[in-house]
Amino acid sequence: MELKQTLRRIPTLLGSARAAMAAFSARYRMPLVLLLLVGIVVFPHVITGPYYIRVATIMGIYVILASSLNIIIGFTGLFSLGHAAFYGIGAYTSALLATQAGVSFWIALPAAGLVAAAFGALIGVATLRLRAVFLAFTTLGFGEITRIVILNWRSFTRGPLGIAGIPVPQFFGTPFTRVSYWYLVAGLAVVTVLGVYRVYHSRIGRALVAIREDELAARSMGIHVFGYKVLAFTMACFFAGIAGSFFAHFQRFISADSFLNTESFTIITMVALGGTGSIVGAVVGAVILTLLPEMFRFLVEFRMVLYGLILIMVIVLKPGGIVGVKGVFEKPKSQRKPWIVEKLTRKPTIPDATQPQGGTL
Amino acid sequence: MLAQQIINGITQGSLFALLAISFAIVYGTLRLVNFATGSLYMIGAYTSFYVVRHVSSNLFVSLAIAAVVGFVMGLILERLAFKSLRGVSRIASLICTIGFSLFLNELAAVIFGRETRVMPSVYTGTAFRIAGTNIIWLQVIMILVAGVIVIGLQLLLFKTKMGLSIRAVSLDYKTAGLMGINVDRTISFAFGLASACAGVAGVLAAFYYNSVFPVMGTLPGLKSFSAAVFGGLTSIPGAILGGYLLGVIENLAVQVISSGYRDIVGFIILVVFLLVRPRGLLGRKIPM
Repeated sequence: MELKQTLRRIPTLLGSARAAMAAFSARYRMPLVLLLLVGIVVFPHVITGPYYIRVATIMGIYVILASSLNIIIGFTGLFSLGHAAFYGIGAYTSALLATQAGVSFWIALPAAGLVAAAFGALIGVATLRLRAVFLAFTTLGFGEITRIVILNWRSFTRGPLGIAGIPVPQFFGTPFTRVSYWYLVAGLAVVTVLGVYRVYHSRIGRALVAIREDELAARSMGIHVFGYKVLAFTMACFFAGIAGSFFAHFQRFISADSFLNTESFTIITMVALGGTGSIVGAVVGAVILTLLPEMFRFLVEFRMVLYGLILIMVIVLKPGGIVGVKGVFEKPKSQRKPWIVEKLTRKPTIPDATQPQGGTL
Repeated sequence: MLAQQIINGITQGSLFALLAISFAIVYGTLRLVNFATGSLYMIGAYTSFYVVRHVSSNLFVSLAIAAVVGFVMGLILERLAFKSLRGVSRIASLICTIGFSLFLNELAAVIFGRETRVMPSVYTGTAFRIAGTNIIWLQVIMILVAGVIVIGLQLLLFKTKMGLSIRAVSLDYKTAGLMGINVDRTISFAFGLASACAGVAGVLAAFYYNSVFPVMGTLPGLKSFSAAVFGGLTSIPGAILGGYLLGVIENLAVQVISSGYRDIVGFIILVVFLLVRPRGLLGRKIPM
């Protein structure tokens, strides 16, 4: 009985903990951001193990990917299941420019972003008139097409062999070290998150949210729905391309295996876990899902099993994600709760002692 | 050579047709897409792998057991992924089934191993020859099994009470509920039926390709969704037609384009049809 009551109190406790956290972070926003920035700068000098810096760098890549996908899924309410394809296009553009044309990393990086954005715009124009489920399948199909083309266009992409020997970027003549990779990815991630933040709080962001909430109403308010959708898609793909370019120069070897559809699902899981539509949520989701398999090494084999489970549990039990915003998975208040939630959180019916019992006819 | 390609196309088409039916039943009753269909196909294939190993190498034993396993898996999936999400946006259910698909595929990889397992070849004797092409018994059996299931489904949908309930629910589940139909049970049954079709397709695939592996369902799942859209997502005859056509077109396309690109055909059809004729070849007009 004791245990049962304690269990019942957990949701309330979690709720108040989250409220306290929210209040805390709202009150001390600037100091927290400064603390984070200091942490980014100091981190590689405090924890110097190459393994930790590597994990942190990969985490940075996923922060960029999740934040960018959040523009499509979270802000606009569109479902792109092909984000890894744009990540891959960025990586291949950058790798080919560097190995075939000898282009410097600093030019290849924005070029990769632009090429990915161009593909994003193209795919967006072709598919964004479709309804949600069909859009999801078409983008997934695009991801699969990209993979097949990479594997088969041997003269250009070297097919299943992948591209090896991608040069190490140089910073004014000094080649990159582990630490400089970290600073670069941290810088890119900060710029991405800031960019996403600025977009969200601009005219564009408001238009996107309006489209997510009610497309018809947005249209009748004079918002060019299709144009904004394409814009959102293009922006997200730009950041994905940047992440891909960084990944190519960081890993120094790429092949189609790094950009499978499962990679898209990984990024979606991050966004869903953090909370769709929340900028902090995407970052939190990316950080947790990169660190989790690293912290529990025995989970490595179960990584995707875990991601699948997390995806299911988030949608069924906690559609708002960790940060708990009203995301795209949230259903209207009037609908009944999922049966499993109802079962777990059903309140005991305690007779109200202040009211007269019975005989109130 | 051409005849051979067409025969191969029809054989693969029966797999696509079964999976496309699975999509069409779920979409028809719930207006939802079950992404885990490919995983159910994989489960069907693994079921037959173990049945052949431990119980009997008879194809029909595998088919029966896999159909039951598929049905039960479908019921579980419906209970977990769809029932709790009824009323939620369709996309949330789709993402949820993607979660299931990841979960099932990877669980299979952990339990059964990631490597490709080889199935014994059976029924490889030549049944007869048409236009200089050998047709093996397995191909005949596959086409027949798919045909029997298709006819059986039509009978079930149009001649039984349950079929009537399914059709009523697919038209308007609220009104169907008011007319005294047990909507939950009907939907569960339809879902189980769809999953059983996917399981049966998996068994046939395991016997036809002589191999099973954990991610075997992903590509056929996606392609047969294309086939279902191609033929018309709301129509079972459409799904069947789409499945067979996709199989044949894919095999003929290999004559023109490099075989590495064959998997692209389905996606191109998907995109073109969604943009140009979203109702497919035979489907009802659906609001896009």
